[in-house]
Amino acid sequence: MHPILARGARLALYVAVWAIGGTLLAALLGGTAGLPWSQSLPLAIPLTVTYGFFCLSAWYVSRSMPLAATGSVRLTATAVTAACLSSAAWLVLTRVWLEALARRSGGFDADRVFGRIAALVFGFGVLLYLLSLAISHLIGSFERARETERRALEVQVLAREAELRSLRAQIDPHFLFNSLHSISALTTTDAGAARRMCLLLADFLRESLALGGATRIPLARELNLAARFLDIERVRFGERLNVSIHDGDAGACLVPPLLLQPVVENAVTHGVAHVLAGGTIRIAVSRSTSMLRIVVENPCDEDRPRRTGTGVGLANVRARLRAVYGPDARMASGEHEGGWRVEMSLPLERGAAE
Amino acid sequence: MSEQTLRVVIVDDEPLARALVRELVAGHPGVEVVAECANGFDAVKAVSELKPDLMFLDVQMPKLSGFEVLELLGKDVPVVFTTAYDQYALRAFEVHAVDYLLKPFGPERFAEALSRARERLAGREALPVEALLADVRPRQTPLERVLIRDGSRVHVLPVDRIDYVEAQDDYVSFKADGKQYLKDQTLASVEACLDPARFVRIHRSYLLNIDRIARVELYAKDSRVAILRDGVRLPVSRAGYARLATLL
Repeated sequence: MHPILARGARLALYVAVWAIGGTLLAALLGGTAGLPWSQSLPLAIPLTVTYGFFCLSAWYVSRSMPLAATGSVRLTATAVTAACLSSAAWLVLTRVWLEALARRSGGFDADRVFGRIAALVFGFGVLLYLLSLAISHLIGSFERARETERRALEVQVLAREAELRSLRAQIDPHFLFNSLHSISALTTTDAGAARRMCLLLADFLRESLALGGATRIPLARELNLAARFLDIERVRFGERLNVSIHDGDAGACLVPPLLLQPVVENAVTHGVAHVLAGGTIRIAVSRSTSMLRIVVENPCDEDRPRRTGTGVGLANVRARLRAVYGPDARMASGEHEGGWRVEMSLPLERGAAE
Repeated sequence: MSEQTLRVVIVDDEPLARALVRELVAGHPGVEVVAECANGFDAVKAVSELKPDLMFLDVQMPKLSGFEVLELLGKDVPVVFTTAYDQYALRAFEVHAVDYLLKPFGPERFAEALSRARERLAGREALPVEALLADVRPRQTPLERVLIRDGSRVHVLPVDRIDYVEAQDDYVSFKADGKQYLKDQTLASVEACLDPARFVRIHRSYLLNIDRIARVELYAKDSRVAILRDGVRLPVSRAGYARLATLL
């Protein structure tokens, strides 16, 4: 919808401005063609207001050719062509209106008057159209600037939300309850193991709370946190859970904190936990000159009901990657050799240690 | 009743969680652990063979969840659920679990669960688990798989492998992969559990997976026969044909 036509008040103001333009034209007609006000006003004002609606098309012309993306030659050629076409159409309308006025009130010869004013009306039309086009471009760039600002803000809010969500997911109460249950079981059978589990849990909680506030952390810390989480889960699952982590010599690269955590949690709760014999969770990192690639693989129960979609956890990770890196980061997840595989590629950011 | 030894089975995929229940049981002289199981299959086997008085059952386990184990064994043994998740509590009451222990739990709460179990056993009330499950199920999403207990063995049948289901006296028979599996259930309750867009009741005695139909032929006046991809012919009643026609 055209911004002028969208609201009644705007439309009224627009018509009023064009009526003033019409008065101006009437004055010019009085000067060059010697028309008295009684003839020039009824001629010029309706014509100019009508032309105002012609000029609404300038908005669409400006939209189709954003200033930044169009060459100056094409821009000028299109503007002049559109202005001349509109003004020519307006000229035809002027001739028709003049005829109608002459027939109704008489007192002048339509052909003769048209001959005297045609050049003026055409020039005036071209000028008004070009003016409309310029104003349209101005409004357009205003709106684009506002849109850009709004989108930047949205990205910021989304990133913050994702961070909070992943933090909440991070300290999953069921993970805590199950860990406490394990500690409770260990206190009588193996007090030393119970103490080790307490310390692991405390370390993990302290580290994950500390990381939440940062915008980027070294990958080594993120992997360390994942390893600690898996250490705790290994106390619960025993021999069923094996872990293999390769940092691919990329430990110093920077990543958003707690990026891996939801993926690793999924690998346990939706993967290994459902396999009778258990299996190995593999985290492998590799780097190229510009990209960092992180792959997390886990075995799955082959008979599990296939669900559509990838679940809330992975959707959050994806949204977060998008918020932080835009289109430069990718994430793919799916079945791979009977298990589940999540692959993330993000722009390589070298840390201070390199 | 308290004189008699309570024979219990512990089912949990985590060794430490089983150890804890075992330890808590040791504090009650009248209770004896007769089996520990790390998964639902073992649980079905143990309960079938040992006929225990009570089962401590984890909810989240590989292959078979605690609720699926209960569906297979519900009539045989009272259950105390043990889990870290509180969101299953309502469902546990719907299937008449004796108690619902939230991990971590200690000796006091455990003793409470045991005494509830003794009360339940003393009352020997019949547990209408089957009816309750059937009552609960249709409000949920359609079944993804059908569980069939064959003595101490469990068959897990993904629904897309089922060709058709046939009513046979007090049982229903699932035909899948050229085999048949008997289950103690009514055809109507099977129908209520399965996706109505995929399984259609073509006859009083037959529920058919519509993916398996090759064609439907007129057999006699007002009676048709469905011919499946593997050549099997099943009768189609007039009402069944109307239901089939709306789906196809």
